[in-house]
Amino acid sequence: MDDILGGLRLGDNVVWQVDGLHNYLKVALPFVRQALQDGRTVIYVRFDPHYCVLEPLSGYLTTEIDPRPGFDSFSSQVNKIIEEQGKGVFYVFDNLSALVADWASDELLANFFQLTCPYLRELDTVAYFALTRGQHSHSAVARIRDTTQVLIDLYHVGDRLYIHPLKVWDRYSSQMFLPHLFSNGVLAPVFVSGDASAISQTASKSPLKVKADSIAPWDSVYRKLAQYDEDELRFLESTPEIQALKQELSQMIIGIHPELQRLADKYLTIHDLLSIRNRLIGSGRIGGKAAGMLLARRILVNDPGEMDFSKVLEEHDSFFIGSDVFFTFLVNNDLFRLRLRLTKDSQISPEEFDKVEERFLAGSFPAEIMEQFKDLLDYFGQAPIIVRSSSLLEDGFGNSFAGKYRSEFCANQGGPEERMASFLRAVKLVYASAVNPDALSYRRQRGLGESDEQMAILVQRVSGMRYKNYFFPPLAGVAFSHNLYRWTDRIDPNQGIIRLVFGLGTRAVNRLGGDYPRMIAVSHPHLRPEAGYKVATYSQRKLDLLDLSENHFASLPVAKVIADGDYPNLYLFLSFMEEGYVRDPCGPRIKGLEDFILTFNNLIARTDFVRIVRALLAKLEAAYGYPIDTEFTAFMDSEGQVKINLVQCRPMKLPGLIEAAEVPGDISPDCILFRAKRTISGGTVPRIRYILYIDPESYAKKAPVKLKREMGRIVGEINRHPDIVRQQIMMMGPGRWGSSNVTLGVNTSYADINHAAVLVEIAREEAGHIPDVSYGTHFFLDLVESQIIYLPLYPDEPQADFNQEFFRKSSNILCILLPEAQRFEEFIKVIDVPAVTAGKWVQVVADPRQQKALCFISHK
Amino acid sequence: MANQQNNNNPFHIAQQQIRACADILGLDAGTREVLLRPMREFHVNFPVRMDDGTTKLFEGYRVQYNDAKGPTKGGIRFHPDETIDTVRALAAWMTWKCSLLDLPLGGGKGGVVCNPKELSAPELERVSRAYIKAVGQFISPTKDIPAPDVYTNPQIMAWMVDEYSGIVGNNQFGVITGKPLALGGSPGRADATARGGMFTLREAAWEIGLDLSKATMAIQGYGNAGCYAASLAESMFGCKIVAVCDSKGAVGCKDGICVPKLTEHKQATKSVCNCEGTKDVSSQSLMEMDVDVLVLAALEGVLTERNADKVKAKMVVELANGPTTPEADEILFRKGIHVIPDFLCNAGGVTVSYFEMVQNAYMYYWDEKEVREKLDVKMTRAYHEVLETSKKFKINMRKAAYVVAVERVVEAMKLRGWV
Repeated sequence: MDDILGGLRLGDNVVWQVDGLHNYLKVALPFVRQALQDGRTVIYVRFDPHYCVLEPLSGYLTTEIDPRPGFDSFSSQVNKIIEEQGKGVFYVFDNLSALVADWASDELLANFFQLTCPYLRELDTVAYFALTRGQHSHSAVARIRDTTQVLIDLYHVGDRLYIHPLKVWDRYSSQMFLPHLFSNGVLAPVFVSGDASAISQTASKSPLKVKADSIAPWDSVYRKLAQYDEDELRFLESTPEIQALKQELSQMIIGIHPELQRLADKYLTIHDLLSIRNRLIGSGRIGGKAAGMLLARRILVNDPGEMDFSKVLEEHDSFFIGSDVFFTFLVNNDLFRLRLRLTKDSQISPEEFDKVEERFLAGSFPAEIMEQFKDLLDYFGQAPIIVRSSSLLEDGFGNSFAGKYRSEFCANQGGPEERMASFLRAVKLVYASAVNPDALSYRRQRGLGESDEQMAILVQRVSGMRYKNYFFPPLAGVAFSHNLYRWTDRIDPNQGIIRLVFGLGTRAVNRLGGDYPRMIAVSHPHLRPEAGYKVATYSQRKLDLLDLSENHFASLPVAKVIADGDYPNLYLFLSFMEEGYVRDPCGPRIKGLEDFILTFNNLIARTDFVRIVRALLAKLEAAYGYPIDTEFTAFMDSEGQVKINLVQCRPMKLPGLIEAAEVPGDISPDCILFRAKRTISGGTVPRIRYILYIDPESYAKKAPVKLKREMGRIVGEINRHPDIVRQQIMMMGPGRWGSSNVTLGVNTSYADINHAAVLVEIAREEAGHIPDVSYGTHFFLDLVESQIIYLPLYPDEPQADFNQEFFRKSSNILCILLPEAQRFEEFIKVIDVPAVTAGKWVQVVADPRQQKALCFISHK
Repeated sequence: MANQQNNNNPFHIAQQQIRACADILGLDAGTREVLLRPMREFHVNFPVRMDDGTTKLFEGYRVQYNDAKGPTKGGIRFHPDETIDTVRALAAWMTWKCSLLDLPLGGGKGGVVCNPKELSAPELERVSRAYIKAVGQFISPTKDIPAPDVYTNPQIMAWMVDEYSGIVGNNQFGVITGKPLALGGSPGRADATARGGMFTLREAAWEIGLDLSKATMAIQGYGNAGCYAASLAESMFGCKIVAVCDSKGAVGCKDGICVPKLTEHKQATKSVCNCEGTKDVSSQSLMEMDVDVLVLAALEGVLTERNADKVKAKMVVELANGPTTPEADEILFRKGIHVIPDFLCNAGGVTVSYFEMVQNAYMYYWDEKEVREKLDVKMTRAYHEVLETSKKFKINMRKAAYVVAVERVVEAMKLRGWV
């Protein structure tokens, strides 16, 4: 064999295309024996549960990897083994074709090879792989061939075994690429043309690779189902064979989470699944967000109960970019290992992430994917679209990933090239967001750091209409089937809450300063938590839209956009503040726009909007068996009927009681640090060792803006400090955390506070900071999901019992933890509680039923 | 403990003020007794159907403190912590305020124990109507005329007028003031309080020899009243506003703040802080600034014995209710600082309410100019009466205002043969 190939070299990856694995054994076993004889370390990488290539043999190591958790996890583990074993090791891998059974697509198989092979070469290893001939797509085999150093066909003609090298990199001999007969341990080249053609004619291999039928379930299942016509499918749908195929297709498209599967089984038909396939670019799954959206629509439309949702829901014509495309992109652009490194253990700063993003933006897609992107853009024409992350873990049960991954609007204006460029940019930015610092922290926090996370993408038409040079929906928002924001006991929490905005829904999910969506308690839609002039204070002032003339997303004052007063149905959205009271327009004719405020009062009072959302939430919650969280847009059709476009639906995480919590009444006043009169999540947090305290007064009055902007970063560094991570920390500071506006509060992101057990937003009148639960924003969902107890504190109120002296006098260990943070010492204090209380700790008890919380020094 | 309770009870405070005034006037025991008690009080409980179909019982009050000078007048408050003693005290103060302005009215007040934040708009309407139904027989344009107050507004007044008109069977716009313009409201109400205060300021400046066109002014509080005060002081007199503050901080500019810009900034950011062309100052130092006029337009109790001594202004204008404690009042008096007391200074609101009644009765409506002119006459006359009394009895302006007001009520009672 060495004679034919000119000898195997260190760094060679050898792929054997075989008919059966017994042939692979014939070449693998001598390879292992020889390697062991030469004193090499040999690793057998086993992943095929059905066929063991190498029988136990002393001297080599077997390492078993389960491919079922998916490509991502499998590739990471192989990568880790290669990294640990280091240079000069010899490998025998099981048949690569076995991976397709679990991964469903050839695309991922090729991705795995393209990813692993160069790394092995880098480390001067020699590795044997097998691949079953004729069962994979041409493009996958082509990618393997392009990547490997040596590709050899191994086949039978009658009872004779032939070896035929197809590629031997960087070596050449006149006989190298001839078929060789393998006989009695000797290889003899076949020179005679007649013999050669006879071999070729009768060989078990097919001459045209393009015709090879892929064995990948992805294609085969789809092909099998697609061959039935629609009528037959309906007729046969209940038969066991079709049911099994449906389930297989459903798992490949939707995913394997049992709850998701249950819903998919119940509500999605084969036709639905095939329709998804028809709108799928590449292969793989469509991700949690897309699945949630499709399921919710089906739940609502199938089985109409009291309300016929088919007349209420807007049609969707979304496209999906399969999760495999994400990995192909990573592998093709040499980004997979970067991602692996970031996912594993690295902390990445926003600045470093900018560089990572640049690398993603420089990446490219394979030609066949680009063709499909082109079709997609042709389909949408110049209609604005949104490119939304829809990762496998996202929106699943228990992990909402709310706002962690990116969604990018494409105004989609200009010529085809320009539109393609902005679409590609959007897709790449969404891909890059898979490794953004917030998402990585979120995954680690939930123990999902190394789980299979593939980024599928949902491409949706932006719902709305053109008005002047702008494009936006009149109504958008989020609706939750369970209402945690009850400002009065009258509200029934089980009927849910709506957070409604004018324009794009981005304003409903982000924590913005000085701008408020309308909160509608579904059980009592006319109630408001404000009265008088405060209705105007707590209302929406800006709207998010797509500016078609500028071809980008923008936030503009509502007053500017609707200045002409001719936007349709304005009377449903606006009211007027007149001498301290809110006047709702009598009808569609609006006299002027002076002192208008967005209240949506007439929408609530005069249309079916709330009734529809109430029914929608109830039905979805019943089907899911959990409270749910939805995103929607809405508009009035030409007949004045409310139409809803449900763009997202996911199970909602409820803040549970960590344990029964009753605020103790017998704490000595000296030990009390503060009381809060509002809390949503509850529980007891004992043994709080550290307190991070940002003094609101010095923050407001002394801290320069530049320093304020950096404070979030310092908080983040404390949050991630090894000493802090091991202990409980309570964070306290002015205003609204998580707002990007530093005058409103500390500009932290999720990754900067995720280790806090308690977050306290301090409102000092003189400093002008107002805490705001911002119920329904991504920031709020983060707190709930992370079981961070959130407390607003009004220290100037006597009932707050705020122990200012404790916070003022306790010594500051900020610079001990972070010596480089000296500039911030005046503003950020880290208190090591036992050190200043002679070994005591701080405890927080929060009782959401009584809306009370107490923070005190305790022995516990 | 009992003392402390008394100190916090607004009605007890109101009674103390009457006693002090009665001492100055040398009133007999019988007259004192009448002045110390409300003439009529109505406690009503009324059911309201809620949105969810349930029925809820609400509790309400109407106090007609003294109607010697005419039908009682005073607001209706919707507040969860409403008590009868608060309503009594406020009704007493309304009596003195109306009397001070020499309006042909007595004082009253009403309240409903409810939290408007827990009521939808339809429920609020039903509560408003039900309250009027409950007290309907006790009010009328010639008996008692309610108006908006805490958490009530022109819309609520409109519902109430409609309900009352339904009860009596004809349109009775004059039974309630503070109605929307489209339903018999009066022009000039929006800035009536601040404008009335400015008229008294003008007269006071003349009295102390202050040229307002060269005067500097600091304004504590930049809500509705403070904002109008700044704008009017600048436009009417050419005052230079050198500092203002609100709950979030204070800003100043020694060359004068651009008021329109500041108002725009406040509307946009809900705070005066960081307004272009100003620099931050401390809220406390604003009270102690070397200015000609200090306008108090925010909360009660901001000038106390702790800081009154540090006030350098020549004049204190009390647009807010009760911004100066009695102790601080004495300190300012000793220092010779001229104070325009709250219930004179901010009586422009009730005066325009009275004008609204008059216009309703005539069914003839004035334009804003006419309202302003009439307001000027009323405020100017009231100021001079208080000033004269202050000089005559050598008492501070606040006590003088009480003396003028109480004396008029006593005179009316005497003429009617009550005392």
